[in-house]
Amino acid sequence: MSGPLTGLRVIELCDELGQLAGKLLADMGADVIKVEPPEGSAARRVGPFVDDVPGANRSLNFWYHNTNKRSVVLDLDSPAGGAAWKALVAAADIVIEDRPPGALDRLGLGHRSLLGADGPAQPSLIWCSLTPFGQGGPWADFHATDLTALALGGPMMMNGYDPADAEGAPPIRGHGDQGYNTACHYAVQGILAALLYRDRTGRGQHIDASMHEALSSTTEVGLPYWFTQRVNVIRQTGRHAAATRSEPWLYLANDNRHALIFGVGRDNASWKKIKEWFQSEGFGLQFDEPRFDEPAARQPARGTPEAAEILAEVGRFIAAHAADEIYRGGQERRQSWGVVRAPDEALNDPHWDDRGFWVEITGEGRPGPVRMPGAPYQFSETPWELRRPAPRLGEHTREVLAELGISL
Amino acid sequence: MSDLPLAGIRVCDLTWIIAGPTATRVLADFGAEVIRVEHAQAVDPIRLGRPIKGERTTLNNSGFFNYFNRNKKSVLLNVRHPMGMELLHRLIAVSDVVIENFSSGVLESWGLDFEAQRAINPGIIYCSISGFGHTGRDRHFTTWGPTAQALSGLTLMSGLPGKPPAGWGYSYMDHTAGYYGAIAIMMALHHRNRTGQGQYIDISQVETGMVLTGPAVLDYTVNGRSWRRPDMPPGNRAWEPRIAPHNTYPCAGEDRWVAIAVRNDAEWQALVRAMGEPQWATSSRFDTNAGRLEHQDDLDAGIAAWTSTRDDYAVMRALQAAGVPAGVCQTPGDRVERDEQLQARGWWDTMPHPELGDESEFDGVTPRLSATPGTLRTASPLMGEHTAHVMLDILGLSPEEFAEHEAMGVFM
Repeated sequence: MSGPLTGLRVIELCDELGQLAGKLLADMGADVIKVEPPEGSAARRVGPFVDDVPGANRSLNFWYHNTNKRSVVLDLDSPAGGAAWKALVAAADIVIEDRPPGALDRLGLGHRSLLGADGPAQPSLIWCSLTPFGQGGPWADFHATDLTALALGGPMMMNGYDPADAEGAPPIRGHGDQGYNTACHYAVQGILAALLYRDRTGRGQHIDASMHEALSSTTEVGLPYWFTQRVNVIRQTGRHAAATRSEPWLYLANDNRHALIFGVGRDNASWKKIKEWFQSEGFGLQFDEPRFDEPAARQPARGTPEAAEILAEVGRFIAAHAADEIYRGGQERRQSWGVVRAPDEALNDPHWDDRGFWVEITGEGRPGPVRMPGAPYQFSETPWELRRPAPRLGEHTREVLAELGISL
Repeated sequence: MSDLPLAGIRVCDLTWIIAGPTATRVLADFGAEVIRVEHAQAVDPIRLGRPIKGERTTLNNSGFFNYFNRNKKSVLLNVRHPMGMELLHRLIAVSDVVIENFSSGVLESWGLDFEAQRAINPGIIYCSISGFGHTGRDRHFTTWGPTAQALSGLTLMSGLPGKPPAGWGYSYMDHTAGYYGAIAIMMALHHRNRTGQGQYIDISQVETGMVLTGPAVLDYTVNGRSWRRPDMPPGNRAWEPRIAPHNTYPCAGEDRWVAIAVRNDAEWQALVRAMGEPQWATSSRFDTNAGRLEHQDDLDAGIAAWTSTRDDYAVMRALQAAGVPAGVCQTPGDRVERDEQLQARGWWDTMPHPELGDESEFDGVTPRLSATPGTLRTASPLMGEHTAHVMLDILGLSPEEFAEHEAMGVFM
């Protein structure tokens, strides 16, 4: 079995912003040829590094985002490099690049130069330009990082603290380069939509992908509140931004971890199970009183004294347990509760081993395999597959140029 | 319609809440015919979700629902009625894709696991989005977006050191599980175009969060460092690449902030010039990134003193003109009313909706395909708005059969 994109050749010219898009295509079978300058993609200089020692092949950020790709070094500023780039593009089904608007065309190597102004010179080619703000508009040349993109796009202003937890706290950026990730999710959606159109008609096209637009479409209830009521939602600790302040979802357990409580006994059947669990350990003895029988009275959003009492008791109960006990005990009683884990703590959860989620790779300084996240989806016929770890800088230059009959 | 990239693709949409409808929103924006199958006894909670227009919910006045369900059709179908289930089979027979985001095991209990669907339609693509996937010992556990964020590590990766996790402020993982659903379905459609073969796609919402933490996991498996340690998460300061200044800074006005990120010494010098070369900033201890990281408290205090009396958009424009990455922390209202970029690119649009008004508002479709862009064609459907159309025109019921089914309580 091989991935659904087997047989497609993708030329990728991406650093931190666009590298996940290439990975998503490569992991599903596409032959993704990553073109890098002689000093390597900028992502190779992003830590953390193996043993904290920087080096072109030691970036764990690069290891993760460049699986299944082949690396070809080209100096696009040189005539030979430019010619090789054109030859690679001519052999491609898809190009994805994250250079600033117009940068490649100034070298005669961008989509405007190579797709032809008067009609496509290469009619079946799909070319995706992924940039912070899109190809045009007053901010097109603005500089951006993941932080400034999450600020302008809207996610940050949804996220932060109750004043009681951190008076005057700023909006907070969630880490992990989620701005770049969301930009890539949208870029790949566009590439695949264009691919389906090409399947039908044989025709390719250019795709103008903007991180700013992708993020502005990824703030859930934020825009609907503005559209419908002209209300800006307020930031709250560890839970959804809302029009008015709501009850907390995070509670500290006795192992200094947070449990996430997302509703308590919304229906009577699960309420009964929760009640029995609490009472078996001497908590919530008052829950037998009839005033707790009505589901509506138990919902925090209603602001009833019963709801407040339940949450106070939940807090006491959690403070007497380990967070994982709360998570599993709640789930076994049909509550969508959770535990706030560090990313690596999921390595200890056997459910993900059951599903074969983790994959093992090797790299410079780690000849023995190390684990990292694998597939975001399980396909029955054309599965996600790790065929090779991230390439060393220029590892495939000769191989790829020879395959395509390109001489430097 | 023929110039939409997904024209001709029909989706039997059994999804609800947000993750599933996000996936089908993407497919619908690009031109797929998405048919929401709804049931009055198990209403999509988002049809009741705030914000609503007016004081009381009508199932058709939620701005929240409208946002996630544009461009789709809605049929009322009582699948607990044998004749309703028979019509669902007929809809699957003429669909390219079936998608649901129920708890693991629900579709199986309907007698509609993948094998059963394939018996109805050999080329069907069946996509399921559940909390923990359809395999593994905890497959019966359930999630909402915040649960998936907590379990995957994303919640812990957001916050100020020494404070509780800030988390995400919304269901980032409902959006993102939906994006992975749309991506998976389009990949499967491409494979089917080549081979005729359909398939089954099992998506765990928690796994789609875990794949967004790769470098953090590798820092543990390679270097033995967990994100659960003192001084982590680092607030809005940088993790990797380790650069400074990199933070949010207060501006004039109430709760106004600008994010600034300086990637190298040249950008630092540009920031110093943009600030008017204050004496503190010309200190040699800030000349190198290492020095700026070491003295980050003083650095941030100095920059905050400069920004705090200034307008946030003015700070952003001044720094961008100097070549320094800077961005206002925009509210939803800012994005709609003040964002010149989104305005100039025609990002905002309206569509008439019977209960939300002649100009119910929407954002655009991204990314922009030059030849066959996605489009906004209709606002969200009223509950069951397209029942007759789908039953008569797509499934081929005669008016008499339709009336007979209706009388039997099949369309409710």
